[in-house]
Amino acid sequence: MTSPRAPDRGARGRGTTVLVGNPNVGKSVLFKNLTNRYVTVSNYPGTTVEIVRARANFNGRDIEVIDTPGINDLSPRSDDARVTRRVLDEHRGATIVQVADAKNLRRALLLTLQLAELDRPMVLVLNMFDELEERGGQIDTARLSGLLGVPVVATVAPRNVGTSDLVEALPQARTPKRPEQALPDAADDYERNRIRLAQVNEILADTYSMHQPAHAPAGVRLGFWAMHPVKGLAVLGLVLAAVFWFVGLLGAGTAVDVFEVGLFQQHLNPLAIRAVDVVLPFPHLHHTETVAVSVGIPATPVHEIPLGTLQRDVIVPGYAVDPGVELSAVQKVLRFGHDFLVGEYGAITMALSYAFAIVLPIVTAFFLAFSILEDSGYFSRMAIMVHRVFRFMGLNGKAVLPMILGLGCDTMATMTTRILETRKERIVTTMLLALAVPCSAQLGVLLALMATLAGPGTLVWLGVVIGVILLVGWLTARVVGGESSDFILEIPPMRRPQVSNVLVKTASRLNWYLKEVIPLFVLGTGILFLLDAANLLDGIARAVEPLVAGWLGLPKEMANAFLIGFMRRDFGAVYILDAATGPDAVLSPHQILVAMVTITLFMPCIANFLMIAKEHSMKTAWSMAAFIFPFAFFVGGLINHIGQWLSI
Amino acid sequence: MAEYLTCSFCGFEFEKTDTLCSHGCPMGPWCGLIRCPSCQYEFPEKPQPVSWLSRLLGKPPPAKRDYPATVRSVRELKRGERAAVLCLGGGSSSRRNSLAVFGLVPGAELTVIQQQPTCVVRIGETELALDPDIARGILVEQPEPDTAAT
Repeated sequence: MTSPRAPDRGARGRGTTVLVGNPNVGKSVLFKNLTNRYVTVSNYPGTTVEIVRARANFNGRDIEVIDTPGINDLSPRSDDARVTRRVLDEHRGATIVQVADAKNLRRALLLTLQLAELDRPMVLVLNMFDELEERGGQIDTARLSGLLGVPVVATVAPRNVGTSDLVEALPQARTPKRPEQALPDAADDYERNRIRLAQVNEILADTYSMHQPAHAPAGVRLGFWAMHPVKGLAVLGLVLAAVFWFVGLLGAGTAVDVFEVGLFQQHLNPLAIRAVDVVLPFPHLHHTETVAVSVGIPATPVHEIPLGTLQRDVIVPGYAVDPGVELSAVQKVLRFGHDFLVGEYGAITMALSYAFAIVLPIVTAFFLAFSILEDSGYFSRMAIMVHRVFRFMGLNGKAVLPMILGLGCDTMATMTTRILETRKERIVTTMLLALAVPCSAQLGVLLALMATLAGPGTLVWLGVVIGVILLVGWLTARVVGGESSDFILEIPPMRRPQVSNVLVKTASRLNWYLKEVIPLFVLGTGILFLLDAANLLDGIARAVEPLVAGWLGLPKEMANAFLIGFMRRDFGAVYILDAATGPDAVLSPHQILVAMVTITLFMPCIANFLMIAKEHSMKTAWSMAAFIFPFAFFVGGLINHIGQWLSI
Repeated sequence: MAEYLTCSFCGFEFEKTDTLCSHGCPMGPWCGLIRCPSCQYEFPEKPQPVSWLSRLLGKPPPAKRDYPATVRSVRELKRGERAAVLCLGGGSSSRRNSLAVFGLVPGAELTVIQQQPTCVVRIGETELALDPDIARGILVEQPEPDTAAT
């Protein structure tokens, strides 16, 4: 990783090129066009802002290209602007390439005038020139170049048009002309920007013309619908249904079946069991079961179009020690190792198969859907649709991004609450994520549980979760106090997501998830295994029996589910699923609902707790936990007693 | 240095030292009230509304403003109406600057795209969603009817 503080190696003339520009102008795509190898990504100390660098060869010269975060303003108000300024300060000899959205020349030129005050050689790139022409706009690039005193290049980055023109223009980079009217030193940023905008308007009058076409392009119309008060709701419903089908049914249903049953239960687990039996032998015989996997295209939560079924007789982790054999001490040790690896709570048969066969397909499907929505520009329209509701909880529409990401992984979403501007918003969002937003690992199990309930039960669950989000959000906002940030959000045009971009984003999120989460799965299962081996599970279960059996009205064995839920609530949900389905089901529908609500409101996992401590403080993490767990039991018990009272 | 207090009832100014009524009062040193030597009104030294309970129950005071009839706020415009910005209203300089970087400054022309569920305006080719409260603060004046038609 390149240290961001490293001295400027490109100080010898124009060895470095820095890309600067407004957000959403296609800087990253242009960066990819200019360079194509050895990209290094580095985080600036104290910020989450990523700086991407790569080397490139232009006209036979080796040049370092640096991509900076999108900014609207050079004044160091946001992390992004501070980092951009620091990059510019550290590379004093660098050529600045300002990337502009040709449709949005006014805002780009405001930034150009700010950059001009740095007195560096510059090139102005007008990207998305095709979108400008599609909308009936024209820019006189030659004239603009003359007025600014820097080369101006038109490009269409996604189609790699104009990249060679830019490379040719780089040696011609010039220091921009300073406007005649000097800025008063005393004025604040706002006053100075007003003066600059007046200068921009003069330049625009000479170089820019716009003739609106009669019909708006389809993308623009879809963009309007997506934030329309009525049509917007329909679009929102369609999008949610599509995501539910893709993640909930295809990912959590079909893909999990294929991976869990088809791959792990039918092939990998028996293989691992046999291998371990060879390495750690003791006299025992594994049970054999017939396992069937059926593949189909899901139509509704309970129907699917079947494609095929595959049956196999395989050995399972359960076994019986050969009758009449007394195990020696060595054999007992071997058995312990055997159980640790491939037993009921084994590292391979439970942790890895759970992580890779159940969680991974769901999370992959979710991140894929999330990246597509993110790149299409839909999230800012979603922010408009939900802003009013979020305002009630002291948040604004921008919080929709971490909240939706929470449906994928709450821990990752807790990390992204950094994008929110005030402490109050970060705390409220973190709280709601930890309390009531089920992550995809848990969602997969909950969906399976819902299938055992009738429709009304699922609706009650959904109603309780949404009600809890609103109530606790409102309460937290009131108790925490402080300011909410202004809701001023740019709505980017709807775009067709680039396949490569979506895949890269999905891959990097998955990479983070695997590194962060898989070790925790193994650790959690290990603890579970030890508790089971030491017969502690029964003891603890007896201690919390009054709470589980009395208040929640559940069989006392369910204490185990909640005990494990402290570690990972989705593990807990798996226990509930085990108790709710199968030949020896012990839960009534009413009990399933109570258990589901309680486990949904648990804190997601230890990783989430640690992330809260890291992002806020240990004290915050403990106070949230101290609220969340009793509250989860309280709401669960409430559902139990209301249900019994209504005798459902 | 002597500390001076002002009675919130009669406006009398007095030194803090003489006025704590700790002697003879059953509350003793735990009494947080101060008695004005002039009018005998008792009041807490500082108003302390910053507790989580009062934040839970308190309500912010409603804001009210009035301006000439030709001037309207962005919030009062209908869908598709165009107008020129007069001023960005109250709020901090940083709020005004975060509007300015999107080209929203006095003199700029904006078009209202929608008011529900949240206000969206277009400035040039930039579409900007605004909180209704911010939109209410931005004052605009509409151009002559014939230019509005184009």
